[in-house]
Amino acid sequence: MRRASLPTIVLLFRGLLSAEEVSTFRAYVDSNLCARIMLGPITPPRVECSQSTVKEGAEPVLVNLRNNLVLTVNKQKMIRPFVGQLAEVSGEIKVKNGTAKLQSANAITAESVPQGDPARKLLDVRSYRTDRSAKLHEKIRHELAMMPYITVFDFISFSQMGSDVILSGWTVRATNRSTAYNIVKDIPGVETVTNNIEILPLGSFDMQIRAAARAALQLGLSRYFWGSGSDIKIVVKNGQIILLGTVVSKADSDLAFIRCNSVPGAFKVFNMLRVQSSQNKGA
Amino acid sequence: MCTKKWGLACLTAALMTVSSCSRPANEASVKKMPPGEQFSGFLSTYANLKPNPEFENTVSFVSQDPAKNVHKYVAVIVEPPVVYLATEADEKALPDRGRTALAEYFQHAISEAVEDAFPIVQSSGPLVLRLRSAIIGVDAGPQTSADQKDEKSLDRAINIGKVAVEIEFVDSQTGEQIAAAVDRQTLGEGAMVGSTTFSQDEKFRAATEAFDGWAKRLRDFLDSAHELSKDDIARTEATNFPYASAPSK
Repeated sequence: MRRASLPTIVLLFRGLLSAEEVSTFRAYVDSNLCARIMLGPITPPRVECSQSTVKEGAEPVLVNLRNNLVLTVNKQKMIRPFVGQLAEVSGEIKVKNGTAKLQSANAITAESVPQGDPARKLLDVRSYRTDRSAKLHEKIRHELAMMPYITVFDFISFSQMGSDVILSGWTVRATNRSTAYNIVKDIPGVETVTNNIEILPLGSFDMQIRAAARAALQLGLSRYFWGSGSDIKIVVKNGQIILLGTVVSKADSDLAFIRCNSVPGAFKVFNMLRVQSSQNKGA
Repeated sequence: MCTKKWGLACLTAALMTVSSCSRPANEASVKKMPPGEQFSGFLSTYANLKPNPEFENTVSFVSQDPAKNVHKYVAVIVEPPVVYLATEADEKALPDRGRTALAEYFQHAISEAVEDAFPIVQSSGPLVLRLRSAIIGVDAGPQTSADQKDEKSLDRAINIGKVAVEIEFVDSQTGEQIAAAVDRQTLGEGAMVGSTTFSQDEKFRAATEAFDGWAKRLRDFLDSAHELSKDDIARTEATNFPYASAPSK
């Protein structure tokens, strides 16, 4: 009797687990690039960013409207037509890995998300940072900037909605993902932290591109590189280069783009560099 | 047909015998501290080492070359540590399996210590460091008593009381030294290793603690080498702004 019951319990337990994993949720269909740099709430510029970057080859992803969690999906074709729109999707979510195994996806409108639903947070510009939490914002910024083991190949950013913080970006060190989470979680005033920092693969192909891109940028833009870091961040994932950070002029931004386009093996460069004069630091 | 088959078999056997005879008897040849020398000769260079005020009994080097320093690398290959016997040690009393056990445990300890700072990879390439290490001054300890012996026991314990550690991070492609340290902190005083599975045996806890201690000092050294300068802190602080608060488009 005992022997027969154990596998049954295991099967039941597994069944329960898998039943829990399949869920239906509302999401914004974004590009991996725009979702990670968190351009903020779903405003027209963000929609434009999502659509243009996916068109240029960036991977489409889902941003769960309830908690802003970025989910890479197994069936990109299923969500590609909805990039820049909202969708109701169902599938198995693995929060730890930030992945979703999709079963279905259907476009929805913002109006279909009920008032008061937590999913509306991402749709409302007003729920983002306010003057009241400027000190908290600065504290988070400072703590993340001072993290050890951040290199030119890591980009860690955040977005704040009151006491909720969304961490985003890319890192070559898994530890940076957890360190950032732990640092921010312990800051007084922070209630929830969503961790959208993606860990980048360290394959030799990407490593060669990283080294070559840094060398190429240092040639003409050496003033942006200093002792242990740089103003320009080079994110490399599966042969794609994403340039992030701040430069002083449009000419420098263009030069960085041109130089990275000459890197052997890199098949796409996304230039997301900000030009200092147009940057609103205090916003 | 049958003769041909036997001939082929004989030839193969003969070739195998010749090839095994031509191989050195012990590939991992026993290394010893050279008599009267301060260092083992394991590191690629000792010329840059200087006393490190932050770490007792340690001489070290950290490259300040703007193009080649620890900040420029993102991953590391951890090579199996090399064991050097004390100059006077009787190498017959320190068989290969005992030395291997030491090296394997130390490799595990240093891998754990560095992996969250530098992810461990298996192949060399750009942005990859190679961590080379040596356990220096291993000696033979007392004979293991017959009643305490099992298949994992060593005939004679290994004495790590006077052991020091030499480590270096080199560029995995060029071999250029990026950081190095010789740590003579005697963490293993009185510690013995009497079994190939010593890390699982409470009796040899002092030895595992010593290796863990050297590994921790290695990590501390790495952290200190990786510390930001005042200028770097100021620049990072001044330039690190999230995209979310300043949309670029």
